[in-house]
Order: sequence, then structure tokens, then C-alpha cells
Amino acid sequence: MVEQYDVIVVGAGFGGPVAAKQCADSGLHTIMLERSKIPGEKVVSGLVIPVYGFLFGPEFIREGNPPIERPIRSVMNRFVKNGEIYASDHSLRLPAPFTVGYSTYCKPFCIWLADRAVDSGVELRTATTAVDVIIENGFVRGVITDKGEELRSKIVIDAGGTQNNLSLKAGIRKKFVPEAIELYMIWDFEMAKEDVDSVFGNSMEFFHAMPDEKIGAPLGYGSTLYFFTYRDSIHPGLGQFLVTEGKIPNVAKLLREYFDNFTTKVRRWREDIAPKVKLRAVTWDVCPIYAGLIPEMRKMPYFGNGMLIIGDAAGFESAAFGDGVPSAWFSAEIAAGVALESIKAGDTSKAFLKRYGDRVKADPFIMHTITDTRRWDMREVLKSKSENEHKKRIRDHWGIGAFRYKYMGGPCLKATGRSIKNDPGIIAKWPEMFRRYYRNWEENRFDRLSTD
Amino acid sequence: MVRTFRDIPGVEWVEGTGNFITIDEEKCTGCGNCLKVCLAECYEIVNKKARIRSMEKCMECGACWYSCEDGAIDFSWPAGGTGFRTNWG
Repeated sequence: MVEQYDVIVVGAGFGGPVAAKQCADSGLHTIMLERSKIPGEKVVSGLVIPVYGFLFGPEFIREGNPPIERPIRSVMNRFVKNGEIYASDHSLRLPAPFTVGYSTYCKPFCIWLADRAVDSGVELRTATTAVDVIIENGFVRGVITDKGEELRSKIVIDAGGTQNNLSLKAGIRKKFVPEAIELYMIWDFEMAKEDVDSVFGNSMEFFHAMPDEKIGAPLGYGSTLYFFTYRDSIHPGLGQFLVTEGKIPNVAKLLREYFDNFTTKVRRWREDIAPKVKLRAVTWDVCPIYAGLIPEMRKMPYFGNGMLIIGDAAGFESAAFGDGVPSAWFSAEIAAGVALESIKAGDTSKAFLKRYGDRVKADPFIMHTITDTRRWDMREVLKSKSENEHKKRIRDHWGIGAFRYKYMGGPCLKATGRSIKNDPGIIAKWPEMFRRYYRNWEENRFDRLSTD
Repeated sequence: MVRTFRDIPGVEWVEGTGNFITIDEEKCTGCGNCLKVCLAECYEIVNKKARIRSMEKCMECGACWYSCEDGAIDFSWPAGGTGFRTNWG
């Protein structure tokens, strides 16, 4: 049986529903395919979505009541030596209700996003894997599902995440090189809300150390051990790139060792945290965090005849923060806009869809964040072994220095100007969003999910 | 049918995935990269070739696929609605 759509969106993670909703709102006949039974239950990361995603991303998220776990108002950086904290940097902190981001579990947030797409008329088909693309005369004309169905469309938006291989099958992209890929492991612990409040407050917390401490990957080759804080749980994780100093080490063994070392040696864990927590889940996944820093990956196209590629599938990960949600949202909105224009024009060729690439490049954040070298450059500390240099670089990365114009300050200013130009009313909507999100969290009241 | 494991709490595996990871024995040089990056201990080396030992704890991360410099590992997705799932990602 052949079914015909204007747009097929593959993947109901963070980007897919945004693209699908906008397509449906524009009057396009849109279907979204999701391989898991319920959206978000295969999305693993643990997450603090940076606030710039909410401020400058989709209006329906800003004006909605998505399920957030905790407003994150500050970043606490701990410097560890011999298991003891010898210095802290808490320079990046904001008064309530302002935040640097919002923590969330992936599943409820993805369900909330998919619900909004369905409300707009998107047909959502879960437990459905797109296994191949239909190509005719060099154009992507749809997908084939694992049940053998042929779904046809004018445009396919590939929102399949990091490991997605549809755009590979379409001959548009190649798989990420291992230097671009970080493997990370996450532990989820239950912790009473009042304990999270007293031990962490509304901070996320990092544990930075020189390599001989062995509580994380060599600097610049992974994610420092981080604690995302949720309503009544905490979500520590760490990661290492598949390639470290030119070789593929036993990353699987190392990640477990780092966390074992942390939990046995670091006093903050043993005395302040461990007595109050209970392990609930262990997960892992990979992320193309350095895709934008490796020229052959960055230069790969994210569009082809009949296909647009968004989010992680296109390698749009923040190389410094390791976060992909804001760029997934920004690229989803751009892709939906271009899909509508191309369908109206009756031209879905690569030449027409180039405007998607041009707009991605002109976005204040996407290219800026995927080419941000601050994490990569931590490798310099491995050479200098200087504690002062380490602290200085962390201050510029996870401290107040992150607001410098050349880091996040420039893109935020540009996006602010652009947003106000498009909608002067947004000046009032931003503080209203901060207040509403904070109140939602205090009252633990969010939009109902379709699965509730 | 759903599998769970005590050492990986909070995750379930729904059966019926199909063979979504395959190894081309001709191309495999037995370098062992797949073993080194697999947190689920899916692989073993037998007669200098990588072989799938057990896929039962695979979290579909694809680290093996990315690390295979010989292009011997092929990775696709499990059948819809099968494979790993968690509420705590």
C-alpha cells in the first residue's frame, strides 16, 4: 500500500516534533515516524537544555508548559585533587526566576513535544522504523518502514538523531568519524527533593581534575564528570571520545573506572551525596560532539534532493557544551520553513533546498556552537599541567566568562536583536516565560501528557 | 517478552529486534575496537575475528559501528517498538 504525504519527518525526539508541527501548522500533510513505542524512551542523555533554546527557539515551547525537572540557575565548578575539593568557581549564577537552563528527562519532554505536533494535525506513527529511502531519478521520494510499507512524500526531514543512517542511505552523508563521537555513561539516582535542594540547590555541578586523578577523561577528550540536578533525583554522567590522543582506548572500561574512582575517593560524594541517594538507572549512548570541529564532518551536506537533515543527524551539537537540543530546535524551524517554500514552488531539488543550508549558516547559534573550540582546547592544559590555566579556561567555559562576546555573548546579542525585530512583543514574553516556568516548577504543575 | 538485568537497572529490552548489527567476517581484521567501546559486552574475538557474543544488553549506541576502521560492522535500527527503552534517559 502506498501512502502519499507532503512531508515525512523521521524521528520524534527533540527536533522532529518541532519540524512536523510547523509543517502541519502551514497546512502540509505531515507524518512523523518514531521507532520507539513511546516518544523519547530511546533518547538517552540526561539533560539541561540551555536557556538560549527556550528564548530564541520555537514560540510554542516558550509559551507552553513543558515538563521540566528543575530550573538551573547556576553552574558550580569543583576542582578536585586527591579526592578533596581545593577550589570552586560559582561565577555563573543568576537570581530566580532567571536560569541558565532547565533540566528534564528526555521521555516526558519528547512526549510533550510530540503531543503538540499531533494537536497541530501531524499523524504520528510510533513503533515504526524507517529502514530505507525511496529514491527516484536521484530524488528522495519517501521511506520504507520495517513493516514493508512505502510512504511517499515531497520532502523527507531526517530527524533520526546521531546514529541515524537514512541520510547515509540517501547518499547525502557519511557516518561520523570516531574522533567526532563521544561515548558517555549516565547514572540516575533517586534523592529526596529537600536533599537535592540542600546539597545542590538549583545548580548543576561539575568535578574538574587533572588526568592523574582519573575521575574523568583526559582534558579535552571527554565530558568532565557532571551532575544534572532534577526535582527529586540527580543524574551524574561522564564521557570520553572514541579516539583519545590518536588511539581508540578501552573506553568502556575507563568510563566505569572513572566513576568508581569518583565514588570511592571524592569526599563530596561519600559524605554529602552517597548517604542520600539510591541508584535507579544506568544508561549510555554516543553523541557527535566534535562533528563541527572536524572539517570533513562539518562540510558534509545537510540537504539533498528531496531531503533535509536536522539536529544531531546533521551533526549540530554544541562542541563546548555537548548539547544538541537548541540547535535541533533552530534547524527544525528552518527546515520546516524551507520545506513549505519548496513544496509551494514545486521544486524540491538540492539547488532549491540550498536555502536551508544558507539559513543554517546564518543562524546566530548553530555554526557558532558546533565550531566552539573551548572544550577541545582544554587539551592545552594537558601540556601545561597548570592549575591556574585550568581554572581560567573553566571560568571561560562553565563560568561567567561564557558570556564573553566571542563565546555565547555575541550569538545571544545577535539573536536578541533579531527576535525583537521580528516581534517587539517578545521583550515582555521573555520575563513572563521565566516567571511561568519557575512557578510551574514550584507548583509541580505542567501540561498533561497524552500518556498520563 | 521483556528482559531486564540487575546490573543495568532502569532499562528494559523488548524482544524481536532482528539482527540490527552484523559483522562482515571477510573485512574484520580482529583489531578489537568493538570490544573496547562496547559497554554492553556484546562482542568477543574468536579465531582473530570479532563475533557477536550476545546482544541482550545492547543499548543501540552504535559505538562499535563508529569504531570499526575496517568497515566490517553494519548498524541499522531494531524493528519498531523493540530493543531497549527507559524512562530515565
